[in-house]
Amino acid sequence: MAPRKILLVDDSETILQMEQMILEKGCYELVMARNGEEGVAKALETRPDLILMDVVMPKMNGFDAVRHIRENVQTRGVPIVMVTSKAEAESMETGYESGCSDYIIKPIDSLELVAKVKNLLGE
Amino acid sequence: MAKQSINGESATAPCSGDRSKFYLHPGQLFVASESYAVTTILGSCVSVCLWDPLTEIGGINHFLLPMDVGDDQASLRFGNHAVRELIEEILGLGAEQMRLRAKLFGGACVLEAFRSRENHLGTKNVQIAREVLQAADIPIVGHDVGGDRGRKLIFHTDNGSAWIKQL
Repeated sequence: MAPRKILLVDDSETILQMEQMILEKGCYELVMARNGEEGVAKALETRPDLILMDVVMPKMNGFDAVRHIRENVQTRGVPIVMVTSKAEAESMETGYESGCSDYIIKPIDSLELVAKVKNLLGE
Repeated sequence: MAKQSINGESATAPCSGDRSKFYLHPGQLFVASESYAVTTILGSCVSVCLWDPLTEIGGINHFLLPMDVGDDQASLRFGNHAVRELIEEILGLGAEQMRLRAKLFGGACVLEAFRSRENHLGTKNVQIAREVLQAADIPIVGHDVGGDRGRKLIFHTDNGSAWIKQL
């Protein structure tokens, strides 16, 4: 069986590396994007099984990227976890309204991230 | 799109009056002997709301995962620890255990494909909350759990009133 594909969208290399370190133990195929616009394009191009999406990013923020992904019939069903700072968490009402599936708060806790990923991948 | 739950809860947005406001993040716990309107946003996470109607002492947690795996991992992120800690902190403020009432919210499963599964994360979170409350003999007098949508919850610590908006 092919490894499940996870798209990591964040403008911070540190966050991307951290997510990569946590998830690489799970034998997932990881794809990266550095802003919301690239995230939308990579979602369509690579058809991931799950997306981890930052909120504040250049070119297109995470909420708008989620809306675009949900609007496209080819990507609308993919689960999306918003990765937010505490300051941004109060705006998660907007996140759910834009179509995200769940959220986690930075700093990322490996146990939480793995549990959410496994849950949303049905593992 | 929004929908107000009416499962024992207010169907209209609450008037929080003079209550102080507090935003509860995942993995946090909040208890107060003064009147607070506490807001949190739940996906597969669960919040247990507890209050003592006589003393008007109340509190709420927001946990992400059902069980920790050992004493060194005890954290408010885990339901088994977060619910026990909430009970202890409310009693520590002067509430009486036999008067405590509970409400339970969250535990959604946002993916249709997994909703029929009995063991998704949201279900496990709800189950551990029920088990700990039952062990403490605290009745659950209101709940809005499961489903396929996130929730915005506002809880009034003094009288236990709660308002849910499905997101």
